[in-house]
Amino acid sequence: MNAKLKETILNPIFKGNPITVLVLGICSSLAVTVTLKGALVMALSVIVVCGISSLILSLLRNTIPGRVRIIVQLVVVAMMVILVDQVLKSFEATYAIDKQLSVYIGLIITNCIVMGRIEAFALGNKPWPSFLDGVANGAGYGLILIIVAFFRELLGSGTLFGVDILNWLGYVPNNLVILPPFALILLGCIVWVQRSIQKDLQEK
Amino acid sequence: MNTNNNLYTVIYTTVIVVIVAALLAFVSQSLKAKQDANEKAETISQMLTSAQYGTKAELDKLGNAAKLDKYAEEIAEAFVIDLDGNRIKDLSIDRNDLEVYSPKQLKRQNYNIKGGANKTGDPELPVFVFKNGRTVVPIYGAGLWGPIWGYISFDTDLKTVSGAYFDHESETAGLGAKIKDDPSFQQEFVGEVADFGSANVFEIVKGGAPKDAEGKSAIDNKIDAISGATMTSQGLDAAIDTWLSAYAKYFLGAAPAEHKHCGKCQEEGHEGCENHNCEEE
Repeated sequence: MNAKLKETILNPIFKGNPITVLVLGICSSLAVTVTLKGALVMALSVIVVCGISSLILSLLRNTIPGRVRIIVQLVVVAMMVILVDQVLKSFEATYAIDKQLSVYIGLIITNCIVMGRIEAFALGNKPWPSFLDGVANGAGYGLILIIVAFFRELLGSGTLFGVDILNWLGYVPNNLVILPPFALILLGCIVWVQRSIQKDLQEK
Repeated sequence: MNTNNNLYTVIYTTVIVVIVAALLAFVSQSLKAKQDANEKAETISQMLTSAQYGTKAELDKLGNAAKLDKYAEEIAEAFVIDLDGNRIKDLSIDRNDLEVYSPKQLKRQNYNIKGGANKTGDPELPVFVFKNGRTVVPIYGAGLWGPIWGYISFDTDLKTVSGAYFDHESETAGLGAKIKDDPSFQQEFVGEVADFGSANVFEIVKGGAPKDAEGKSAIDNKIDAISGATMTSQGLDAAIDTWLSAYAKYFLGAAPAEHKHCGKCQEEGHEGCENHNCEEE
């Protein structure tokens, strides 16, 4: 694997993370991180939508009329989102999670990461790197989601993946952690940690 | 190739949209059976919750098959009535062909109850009687952002609520969504008594329902609304009133007669007097 491809994959995970550096996809990361299970399903959904939409649009990139390219992107992304939603609704194991995530699966289409990567990368690159870029950005988003959900489920419900971790020790779940503002505080802490490691992100 | 001329643009977008539409229609059709099965199991678990066979969280731990098993085991009879309370047909309670009313079917009946342009026929109102004596009926209506529905179960006297479960499609999380997420709201219905004679079968009131001497909700037909969710509360109130009023004749007709004077009852030669509770005499 050449260095450029490696960079395409690794950059969105840490150095150019869509949530903590580009500050995209904040809304859904506050909404779906109450439980780890929900965050995991959301992360996988975004990876699939982002990766496959980038692949399809990269394949079509030389045929898309410039004036309607946003509309064509929208149609493809919307199709992927509906497909993911339909598939989640069809399986017994994911039906309840789909119900819990309710509108947020459908709202993946409004997630700036998906359209942003298509516009910035997929329309100017070959299919394989575009696919990897989509998947990596979805994964970067998912990673932050899972970190936030880990703390929120542990402190807010005393469980992880629904398994009791703290409650039997006499821990009283903190309701503030369940509410969206706490996710924003956690996100702030993650950004803080990242910026103290990665000094070039700090403003002078 | 010039991708910027008008004809090309129009043809290109048309082809893309047709392909996507065909694909989505195909996927939707091929997954429909599975989705319906999931929805049926969900409806069943909501009805079981309402009939007090466990909390929703407990029932959700069961798989689809186990939910259907439990329902088939606990259901005594299920049938459809018309607006006059007459039984018009039976619903299957066979394990392999359970007939329940999904929110989609409730929506159709909601139009039929309310009348107007979307009416497709006379209302068909489902009634589910469980072996623990509870009678479960559905309600359906409009919340703030989308449909809301639910299942209310009544005790054997057919007016005291023994349980309720509500669900919604897209109410605001933390506010209107509490009709589903907050078990204490659903719990408020328990023990309240329906007033089938009036248009306000239950009343969801702002500013607190009347309390009894011990500070508990008084036994009446009033329930505390959810703070910050006025529209959802009003929608739920309207949904309950519309649906339960439609059931009123059935509930009033089927309720056990109150023969408080058993001696007189037997003297007058009424049937079934010996089955009534005569302790109050």
